[in-house]
Amino acid sequence: MGYLYLEEKDFAAFVDALIAAKRVVGPTAKRNKFVYEQLASADELRLDFDVTILPPKKVFFPPAQDIVRFGEQAIEGCIAPVDTVLLGVHFYDVKGIDMTDYLFRERKEDWNYLAQREATTVVASNIQAISPRAFWDSVGAEVKPKGHDAFLTKLAGGCVLETLTPKGEALAAFGAFRDATADEINAAQQTNDSVMGQCSEKLGYTSEAIAAKVRDSFDNEELWDELAMDCFSCGSCNTVCPTCYCFDVKDAWNLNQVSGSRTRYWDACLTREFAAVTMAGGDKENFRERHQSRFRHRFMRKTAYLNEKLGGPACTGCGRCSQACTVNIADPVRVITAIMEVGS
Amino acid sequence: MSDDLRAAHENIFLPREARILHTARPTASEKHFTLQMADGEPLDYVPGQILEVGVMGYGEIPIGLASSPTRKGSFDIVVRTVGRVSTAINSKEVGDSLWVRGPLGHGFDLDSLKGQDVLIVAGGIGLCPTRSLIQYILDRRDEFGRFLLFYGARDPLQLLFTEDRVEWRASKEIDYHETVDRADVTWTGNVGVITTLFHKTTHLDPNTRVVICGPPVMFEFVIKELDQLGIARENIFVDLERRMKCGVGKCGHCQINDKYCCIDGPVFTFAAIQELEEAI
Ligand code: SF4
Ligand code: SF4
Ligand code: FES
Repeated sequence: MGYLYLEEKDFAAFVDALIAAKRVVGPTAKRNKFVYEQLASADELRLDFDVTILPPKKVFFPPAQDIVRFGEQAIEGCIAPVDTVLLGVHFYDVKGIDMTDYLFRERKEDWNYLAQREATTVVASNIQAISPRAFWDSVGAEVKPKGHDAFLTKLAGGCVLETLTPKGEALAAFGAFRDATADEINAAQQTNDSVMGQCSEKLGYTSEAIAAKVRDSFDNEELWDELAMDCFSCGSCNTVCPTCYCFDVKDAWNLNQVSGSRTRYWDACLTREFAAVTMAGGDKENFRERHQSRFRHRFMRKTAYLNEKLGGPACTGCGRCSQACTVNIADPVRVITAIMEVGS
Repeated sequence: MSDDLRAAHENIFLPREARILHTARPTASEKHFTLQMADGEPLDYVPGQILEVGVMGYGEIPIGLASSPTRKGSFDIVVRTVGRVSTAINSKEVGDSLWVRGPLGHGFDLDSLKGQDVLIVAGGIGLCPTRSLIQYILDRRDEFGRFLLFYGARDPLQLLFTEDRVEWRASKEIDYHETVDRADVTWTGNVGVITTLFHKTTHLDPNTRVVICGPPVMFEFVIKELDQLGIARENIFVDLERRMKCGVGKCGHCQINDKYCCIDGPVFTFAAIQELEEAI
């Protein structure tokens, strides 16, 4: 594990060599936005992205994933990991991946996620452009980005690759790397430090203070009514969130009506029927019937419920939910600040 | 990943085949199945635990085990026809198979029941998951103190487990009382909500352990009675229902505040859930 350096002129060849050997997924431009997609060539890679529409969780936890396939007689699992390099992940999304790693591993290991996760080399990259709604420099400072295999920092004239695991070290074989000099390592450090404090949105409270106050506000109906006003339960704030991982499971038949699959789909706790069940009595019971309760549940999850397990809040400050919410109410900075200001 | 490694990791969503040995239709909408794992493996469970039960191509639903692990060789479930999956399950007959995952979840804490008086209050289909505990206690009768069972249904046609009830009524091992909300011409028993049964028996010791399972509306009234009897809420166990999709603490559907019904429950102490605003 150490620091390597690659000249700018050799960078495309490195990425192309990776693409020739493995599936490489990275940020690419899509109209005026960025998305993670499998790369066909190095020039598709856009490490100058500010944020992607969907977080990289989709590499390990696809929006639709078969978990069981069945035929007339037999059934089988379909865990089929593909050797993948996920190239270009900002530190806040590295945190998000580390959180879903934990959550899919805890208590009962879910290898439908973990197998692809283990087959993936995660290469973090420095932030070259800042999304207007991001606040990753003022949330969950106690949660350190970890679990990635390498960290790539672009400098003038080249880039520094910090290798953190054997998977990360193995990348060196694909490009004309040399050891980085102390100056280059320092420059990389400075580049990464320099973006901190640059986000335009800011959360001015510690994670503990937020967790305590948000929990305490659980019964403040008036507050939640106001905060969630206009929410139309679309669930977009869940869909784009790197730490949301709820899913629904549905069976479907193939055209032959003999075989088919059991598939999990991303689900969203903000949607109306998420917690609805048909009770023993036959009546429908919705345990979070009002949109305010669903909105509150999301904030409890992002600021308080999971903190003990994750070592801090389950919000990385990516700002995707703020951008995705058409009525502009999902923004954690707005909501948390309003809660913190109650009674003060 | 090599095939070996892949095989070494259990897919928590892969169900196992269970053969239907016997079926019964206790009511118009419920079907009682007696099952056996197709691979011959015994199902190792605790009363109160659940299974995800399904038919491939339709889906899975969470169902509480309705028989006791003390009765080996097979296990029972009772499924009410309410939706697509339960309809598919209830169309299956002897010789067909169901696909099950489990046992899942946290069942009854038998250690805290042993040596104690136990009262079970079951409403409607809530008798099914508690039947597991009822059988368990009857099979190990000397490990428990006084044993009472209150069972209430909407009307006589909804009453489940006729044979069991005949046995319980006759048995000295169990102080059994039943009621219906609405009688019909055939009914000669007690009429009224389940709490009326508290007056049909001799005084309950405040140390009694109580298990409640039934529709949420029932909880409040039963708890009121138990409060009057001085029964501590740590000693009251409730069996909750949620939309348990995955049963393994991942999908998020069963969350009650920061708890997961499917792994922290479905059995909780009332003391634990009264802290949770979303529980009942
Ligand atoms: S994105 Fe906005 S409107 Fe949609 S569910 Fe979330 S908070 Fe509600
Ligand atoms: S809650 Fe919003 S800002 Fe926080 S991690 Fe999720 S999408 Fe990003
Ligand atoms: S049923 Fe999926 S988390 Fe409990």
